[in-house]
Amino acid sequence: MKATVFNQIEETLIAFLFGLMTALTFANVVARYGFGSNILWSVEMAVFLFAWMVLLGASYEVKKNAHLGVDMLINVLPPRLRRWLGLLSVAICLGFSFLMLKGSWDYWANFANLPATEGRWFPLGFESEFRGKGWYEVDDIPMPTALAWIANIFNNGEAYEKIPRLLPYAVLPVSMALLMFRFAEAGWALWNGKIDRIVAGHDTQESVNTMTK
Amino acid sequence: MEAVLLFAMVIGLLIIGVPIAVTLGMSSILFLLWFSESSLASVALTLFSAFEGHFTLLAIPFFVLASCFMTTGSVAQRIIRFSISCVGHFPGGLAIAGVFACMMFAALSGSSPATVVAIGSIVIAGMQKAGYSREFAAGVICNAGTLGILIPPSIVMVVYAASVDVSVGRMFLAGVIPGLLAGLMLMLTIYLVAKWRDLPKGEWQGWREVFTSARQAFWGLALIVIILGGIYGGVFTPTEAAAVAAVYAFLVATFVHRDMGPLAVEGHRFVERPHILITALFHPDTRRTLLEAGRLTTTLLFVIANALILKHVLTDEQIPQQIAATILEAGLGPVAFLIAVNIILLIGGQFMEPSGLLVIVAPLVFPIAIELGIDPIHLGIIMVVNMEIGMITPPVGLNLFVTSAIAHMPMMQVVRAALPFLGVLVLFLLIVTYIPILSTFLPTWVMGPEIIAR
Repeated sequence: MKATVFNQIEETLIAFLFGLMTALTFANVVARYGFGSNILWSVEMAVFLFAWMVLLGASYEVKKNAHLGVDMLINVLPPRLRRWLGLLSVAICLGFSFLMLKGSWDYWANFANLPATEGRWFPLGFESEFRGKGWYEVDDIPMPTALAWIANIFNNGEAYEKIPRLLPYAVLPVSMALLMFRFAEAGWALWNGKIDRIVAGHDTQESVNTMTK
Repeated sequence: MEAVLLFAMVIGLLIIGVPIAVTLGMSSILFLLWFSESSLASVALTLFSAFEGHFTLLAIPFFVLASCFMTTGSVAQRIIRFSISCVGHFPGGLAIAGVFACMMFAALSGSSPATVVAIGSIVIAGMQKAGYSREFAAGVICNAGTLGILIPPSIVMVVYAASVDVSVGRMFLAGVIPGLLAGLMLMLTIYLVAKWRDLPKGEWQGWREVFTSARQAFWGLALIVIILGGIYGGVFTPTEAAAVAAVYAFLVATFVHRDMGPLAVEGHRFVERPHILITALFHPDTRRTLLEAGRLTTTLLFVIANALILKHVLTDEQIPQQIAATILEAGLGPVAFLIAVNIILLIGGQFMEPSGLLVIVAPLVFPIAIELGIDPIHLGIIMVVNMEIGMITPPVGLNLFVTSAIAHMPMMQVVRAALPFLGVLVLFLLIVTYIPILSTFLPTWVMGPEIIAR
């Protein structure tokens, strides 16, 4: 039950971000020819929506086991070996998402007046001194009034003209944490023998359906 | 030396079954942490700027969306009917019509597997009914479907343009003549085979049928004019053209052909329910198509974004320049160089997803090509044709997988079926490689000579 609700949320979010991004880019063309003016911020906004869709969608695809990969070798191996290679792959994916999560946090944290982590490979505690960059704004997207309260938290009450960078970049740590969680789930399913690989077996019906329909 | 380690890592991870995207990302991260001063935060920034810094890439989701709307709808069926009415009466007519239909659908969609599915799921069954063998039918469509990425618009061309900074508009134009040529070569081959093996031919149904079916297919085919006319008329950028195409395809599928959405229900008429103008946007069919297109885009772009991290590593380490220097010192001429590029891409194309491969290989060979005086646009077309061949050769041939699914044939059988026509494509690759004017004529003629920055 819980899983279906979460499924619905993820699927609706992907469709919604995609729809909005398309509508916005289209609206910009209409505005240019219909009303003789560009929607200045539409390009930047569409690109952010694009990033949000792909980064959040990446973990959804892990859940659906739909990431592209080469399954030539795993197909010819005996199941036992295949399982071990699968677990090794998951370990590598977990490593990847962990390192990316650290990198994402380090990159994003200062924009949200939070400390980045110390350490090159592993987070060795938070940095003790840093300069918050909560005041940093994006180039074009104007700040909607509904979000004005954010300024009280991150900018000492000084109103933003454009939305602060911490908003669009927040997707980085969020999506990488989700990605790590989904890879852990996949690892668990692999350990229990529910799946035998984490890449889309190319000739399975599922991957063809997602690829084409 | 370190570069060798990097590539060994990529190949090793790929083979043990790590997803392509993670393979590329992880290899780059490890390499950076070992050999350079870069921090993980800068990798995260590179990942994000795959989107933020590449407005061109935004064309990809829109082209995917447009072809999802058209595959769901009846556009393919209408195009096939029109195509049969035009060329169905030749010997091997239905097969030739299949190729013609693939060419037209390729001009609407930017993807090869999508073209195979849209046209193949109807034509392969039809050809079997008309007395063709299933192998022949599958072989024809599997090959003709590859034109999806050569005839503009094309997702692979967008990726090439974004990764080496050439104009998408030029690339699209450059694909027109080679695309038509490849289509004609396939048709001619079928014609000769049909003469020789006495394959069934249809009947000429008269000009009336041509006009009727053309009118039926009109709304779909008009999209070609909108996309290309829009880009070259300077009305909008390729990215905007793609968004317009997506919205147009949605409107046609929902309100004109009524294949999906609120009007697809028997007896629902627009005049009685004007509110559907709004509700159609949130209809389950619309949501489903957006999700399907979104998932396709996600898997594709996650690979491309990670490939861009790898590209970043390569350029940071000046690896393309090193390779270029080595090759130029070895005294490789343009001809030998192009052969080498073909071989690398043909081998790589069998293991990698085409767009991801292009993001990595393009920056490696681009500087060499420029030094040797090879036109960047011409190089792009050569790469696209290589990707086409990669799509119909095992083990990772996207078109093979799709064809085997829609024709209900085992993979190896499709591989054998595709083989004779693969020969045609290889011949075509040679022609395109050594006659650059085929690719460069149209873009130069329409957009003026190009300025090559060294």
